[in-house]
Amino acid sequence: MGASRSLGQFYPVDSPLHALDPRAKILAVALLVLGLFFVKEIEGLILMAVVLLAGVAVSRVPIGVFFKLPGPVLFIVVFTALFQALFSHQGEVLFGWGPLEVYGGGLRVGVFLALRIVLLVWAAGLLTATTGPVALADGLEDLLSPLKKIRFPAHEAAMMMTIALRFIPTLQEEASRITRAQAARGAGFDEGGPIRRARSLLPILLPLVIGAFRRADELADAMESRGYRGGVGRTRYRELRFGLKDALALAVTVIVVAILISL
Amino acid sequence: MRLELEEVAHAYSRGTPFEVAALRGVSLVVEAGEVLGVCGGTGSGKSTLAQHMNRLLSPTSGRVLVDGVDAASLEKTRLRQKVGLVFQFPEQALFAPTVEEDVAFAPRRLGLVEEETREMVREALTAVGVSQLAGRSPHTLSGGEKRRVAVAGVLAMDPEVLVLDEPAAGLDPATRESLLALIRNLRETRKSVVLISHDLDEVAEVADRVCILERGAVKATGTPAEVFYGHPEYAPAMVKVASSLRESYQDVGRPVRYADTVRALRELLER
Repeated sequence: MGASRSLGQFYPVDSPLHALDPRAKILAVALLVLGLFFVKEIEGLILMAVVLLAGVAVSRVPIGVFFKLPGPVLFIVVFTALFQALFSHQGEVLFGWGPLEVYGGGLRVGVFLALRIVLLVWAAGLLTATTGPVALADGLEDLLSPLKKIRFPAHEAAMMMTIALRFIPTLQEEASRITRAQAARGAGFDEGGPIRRARSLLPILLPLVIGAFRRADELADAMESRGYRGGVGRTRYRELRFGLKDALALAVTVIVVAILISL
Repeated sequence: MRLELEEVAHAYSRGTPFEVAALRGVSLVVEAGEVLGVCGGTGSGKSTLAQHMNRLLSPTSGRVLVDGVDAASLEKTRLRQKVGLVFQFPEQALFAPTVEEDVAFAPRRLGLVEEETREMVREALTAVGVSQLAGRSPHTLSGGEKRRVAVAGVLAMDPEVLVLDEPAAGLDPATRESLLALIRNLRETRKSVVLISHDLDEVAEVADRVCILERGAVKATGTPAEVFYGHPEYAPAMVKVASSLRESYQDVGRPVRYADTVRALRELLER
């Protein structure tokens, strides 16, 4: 079958970023995202973009992967920018066509918001591209484990996340197979108005949902038959080790974000 | 109908680091009214090949010809009616509330009127021997019944070539037999069948010609006797039996099917 790759997927190469402890990476990305919301000026965001691009360079993941990342949210990005540019009347009028006028301030805000969304996606992408799903879940479980004291099911939450991530490519593959099977029976998915188009998805969605339930059942049985009984007393094959380089990476992130915010 | 593949090559994920060459220049012909068996191991390109026959995939180079006309120039729906493709585990794509409606999906898509559709559905369900299930929900059926309903869903388009990708995988012997019987019946009505399978015994029973794929290229093609006796690593059980007997009894011949092998053995014993 075709080697299809989804966006935001782990990109297995060797790099200093891949080698970092997932907990360090999760915290660093959380800091960067937090920083994105405190930066007030467009110049700050451009600096943030430079920082993230430096991260991409270090990660040895081809930059093209990141340019494709905002694809699914492109509509929101463009809409946000246009909306602000056209309807936020700040600063002076730059140009206008009849009733539509673009104000300097509005354009600035529009570009600022759009850039912020793109950078959010990039920051998250940098984490998922350099961290395998299992490492990601392990890291998250460790970071959430203090919450176990207030009875938050950290292990279960992390396990659910691992399974969800693990099944994204599987479901994509299955959706593509069912689509082709229905196409072989003459199904068309790109004709007619929106209602007809939505209806034409039924022959794909129904088998997909039925298949997902079957898979969930099978997975639960397979896990139980291999002795899985939840997180209590469960050890790990790969222990996470938070070393000097992880502390350093985190410290650098803290400093960078602090500088960006104080600008 | 004659289906011809000319130097068909196909690569997945072209132009990315994940590029995989699935087919590397495959040429073969499916004559009207013949059963062509396509064998080969996992990853040999069998399923990719199948999807080129009704243009679910287009070749990265080479051509697919339908009665001498390039498939790329034909209307897709029309082509898919002529070349019916049954995927591996086709029952996973059953979706309608009743068997009847599921089988009616394809004829309706082809724009047949209600009466014709009902007629096609009835014929298709009878051809696979499950007409009694018409009103049931496909999700309550057994594995073998589901498989037969799914095959009927493609048969209902009355294709001239039926391409079956691993139709008997994981089936009980009775259902498997009924699918092989269906293939024989189709041949009798001058329909062509492409049977893709890694079960050599199954291919040996019904194929008029056999084609072996290895890593995306045709390794051998010819009559079952030529191919199976010429490539011992692809010998079905009956051919293995006859081959080892031939070491001491040359006149066993080259039987391929179960019935022919039994006859050859009987003649040998009665002498």
